[in-house]
Amino acid sequence: MTETTKQQGAPAEPAPTGWARLPMIPGPWETLVILWRRLRKMSTALVLLFTLALASIVATFIPQEPAIPQTVAQWRAGTDGPGETVASMLDAAQLFDVFGSWWFAGIMVLLLVSLTGCLVPRYRAFARVVRRPPVAGRNLERLSNHARIGTSLAPDDALAEVDHMLARRRFRRRGLDADATASGHRQIAAERGHWREGGNLLFHSAFYVLLIGVAVGQAFGFTGQINVVEGSTFTDTRIVYGAVQTGRYFGLDDHRGFQVRLDDFAATYHGNGTPDAFVSRVTILEDGREVMTNAPVEVNHPLVYDGMKIFQIRFGMAPHVVVRSGDTVLFDDRVMLGDSDNDGVWTGAAKVTTAPEQQIALDLVLLPSFDVDQQGRAITRGQEPDNPVLFADVWFGALGLERAVGASEFIREGEPVAGTTLVPGRTSDELVGDLTVEFADLPMWSGFQVSHAPGRWLLLIAAGLLLTGLTASLYGHRRRVWAEAWRNDDGTTTVVLAGVALQRKVVFAEAFAGMTEHLRTALPAAERAGQEVSLEAHHG
Amino acid sequence: MAELSNTLFFTAFGLYIAAMVAYFFRMAFTRATVDGVLASTRAGERAGIAATGLAVAGATAHLGSVAARGIAADRVPWANMYEYSSVMALIAVVAGLVVVQRRMGYGHLMGFVLAPAVIMMAAGAMLFVPAGPTVPALESYWLKIHVTAMVSASAIFILAFVATSLYLAKDTAEQRVAARSGQRYAAGTVGAASIDLESDTAKAPAGAGPAIGSPLELRRVMSPVWFGVFPAVFFLVWGLAKYDVVRGMSMAPVGALLGVAAWYALPYLPSAAQLDALAYRLTAFALPIFSFAIICGAIWAEEAWGRYWGWDPKETGSFFTWVLYAAYLHARATHGWRGRRAAWIGAGAFVALMVTYFAVNLFVVGLHSYAT
Repeated sequence: MTETTKQQGAPAEPAPTGWARLPMIPGPWETLVILWRRLRKMSTALVLLFTLALASIVATFIPQEPAIPQTVAQWRAGTDGPGETVASMLDAAQLFDVFGSWWFAGIMVLLLVSLTGCLVPRYRAFARVVRRPPVAGRNLERLSNHARIGTSLAPDDALAEVDHMLARRRFRRRGLDADATASGHRQIAAERGHWREGGNLLFHSAFYVLLIGVAVGQAFGFTGQINVVEGSTFTDTRIVYGAVQTGRYFGLDDHRGFQVRLDDFAATYHGNGTPDAFVSRVTILEDGREVMTNAPVEVNHPLVYDGMKIFQIRFGMAPHVVVRSGDTVLFDDRVMLGDSDNDGVWTGAAKVTTAPEQQIALDLVLLPSFDVDQQGRAITRGQEPDNPVLFADVWFGALGLERAVGASEFIREGEPVAGTTLVPGRTSDELVGDLTVEFADLPMWSGFQVSHAPGRWLLLIAAGLLLTGLTASLYGHRRRVWAEAWRNDDGTTTVVLAGVALQRKVVFAEAFAGMTEHLRTALPAAERAGQEVSLEAHHG
Repeated sequence: MAELSNTLFFTAFGLYIAAMVAYFFRMAFTRATVDGVLASTRAGERAGIAATGLAVAGATAHLGSVAARGIAADRVPWANMYEYSSVMALIAVVAGLVVVQRRMGYGHLMGFVLAPAVIMMAAGAMLFVPAGPTVPALESYWLKIHVTAMVSASAIFILAFVATSLYLAKDTAEQRVAARSGQRYAAGTVGAASIDLESDTAKAPAGAGPAIGSPLELRRVMSPVWFGVFPAVFFLVWGLAKYDVVRGMSMAPVGALLGVAAWYALPYLPSAAQLDALAYRLTAFALPIFSFAIICGAIWAEEAWGRYWGWDPKETGSFFTWVLYAAYLHARATHGWRGRRAAWIGAGAFVALMVTYFAVNLFVVGLHSYAT
């Protein structure tokens, strides 16, 4: 979007006559034309870019709902951030979801219109310029870079040598006969560096490809998350996933329906407790038939199957808890615990019975590497479950378990009626009445993101075009070189080499010096060299 | 190996400071004569040789430190903020020595190249962590590609920022000198526009340079007070915000000293036009690398997190920085924006880069919060 300002000079309007002179209110068409002209201005594009930048600062410092919904909820409730009133104002301006807001979309559309407005005329101009052969030069020795070289070769042979040199330096060349030049000598006109403008156009056009790629991904893509315990299976259908983001054109039927069984999850740690690797091993089944066994899913190494990508995103402990009343099994499940503070303390809840007024729930805390510190407090030495201990608090009564709330939420009023501490394989004594809790064993659970992301190759192409275009436009520079040769009276030949660069003049001056140097060695010197071999290269 | 790396790090740190002082000495022992020619005295020449030697020795020790760190940790040694800062400083110094001093011949800029390198190393040292393995999310060959590109681009952007801020100072001085001598043309801004761009309209007439009277005039028209106060306040605020009162108070004089050094250096710096061209070339070099780094980051994010772009604070920050650098390039090609306005945008883009690097890692919670 460089140098559009030059094209802004609108042709002078004919002076209005008669009644048209009076009202200066532009009509709808004129308004459109004025807006269009304004949008095409470089300064408008700059202002739009700044607005875009401003929007992204705002989004860095105001919590964004798609990224951290919990914090946004706290801001809205007034428990965190600047208070409820401010939060509602922020909400009104869609500042909790800047990148999904209508005004952000508006800026993007305006930028795109501005871009199109800049690009269309420049495409036309570029097409014209590229097709035009190199133009003849005149007054070569007045150009900022020029040199005279004397040689014993005939003018045509000398020019052939120059032509060869320019060809090696990848100039586009055009030979001009003596009657086509102002000086009356044969000339070679050469030109190079259309890549600057070409790269510029390529770079800016790549944004359209990028946009299409993003749109395809949005419209035909799907992303969902699912947690599974070791030994369990999930089927690729819409209902099993949480945190679903689905495109308009990814329907229920587009789910593949294959099954994924988590055979094993392993988290390994270095000696100092920092994690080393998280690996899930899964089996993929189609209609109960194993089609892929022992396939690893790792951080940075997603598993691809049938157009769906399965990513390892989280993991946790899932103690197998059995609750019995006498010999009746009330609850037998593996409870997925979370480590929300990332401190090695795994917490969660088990909702045992949902009969009204008779509800039972357990609050579970698991320390994977149980120890007692000097103050007598229970701690965990590390993340690895080498000495797991489960603490279970039993709640009884109207716990609100019939409500549809989060897995670990229920009404905790008063105190738990009983508590117990268990190691794997142990069953508690009778806690309340004949209620017992067994900690059978400690499997792991693994959290996957499953996504279908079409159009990625378009994004890659766009990225490639962006980079190629950007580099070309920043390094390319247009330069023209001319050479003329004529025979002197004494039989020697004089070659004049001249050139100008529109950009990067210092770099060109060096290259030009290199060219003259090359010609001085390549062309056999004239018999009577003397003053003819004066090399003057003015850099400017 | 980890011990050796730390020792070499602080050796390099000391050598850089010594080299910086020597570069400033070199300046002090260079005479600026009336016709604008800089004449080095013998002491100045010696100081210059010593400075270059110290800087090269420092860079060598620094390289050793980075290599030892890599061997100790058994991975690429730029995976946390300490290492990243260190490598960024190293690349900035090496690029400064090779490009700014050797290729462009702007030796007097080197003191100002070493200063941010030293500051970067100091800031990095405060985030020191022992050499060790990284979390699984970072164990990918994309770490090598993405972070290497990012650290290189950032280092070049440091140099560009040095050139930009000195350009702004020098340009102000040149314009004031021109205004006082009754000239209409301030060669600085106008010349800058004609050096590397398509504009043919804005060429200063021959001989309308700022070299009217002594180049020392450049210093006389500027007040050293403001040169000291601005960076001092900036460093104070930075220190207070990030560390504590003691560090804030001790950082302020460093800023003041650097600012006054820039004031003192005004006659010795390349012309405003040259500084602007240098800043532009450096930015133009770094921006494709920076873009490449962001693209690699997106590919890596797709591999690791299952989405290529999620407006994570770091992603937002780098987008913001990229937009500002793009605006800088556009501004340099737009009438009414090139010169000082564009330079301010460039400086702002660098601030955005630093905020994205430091603040987003340390203050804002996001997926890139792996400072320690």
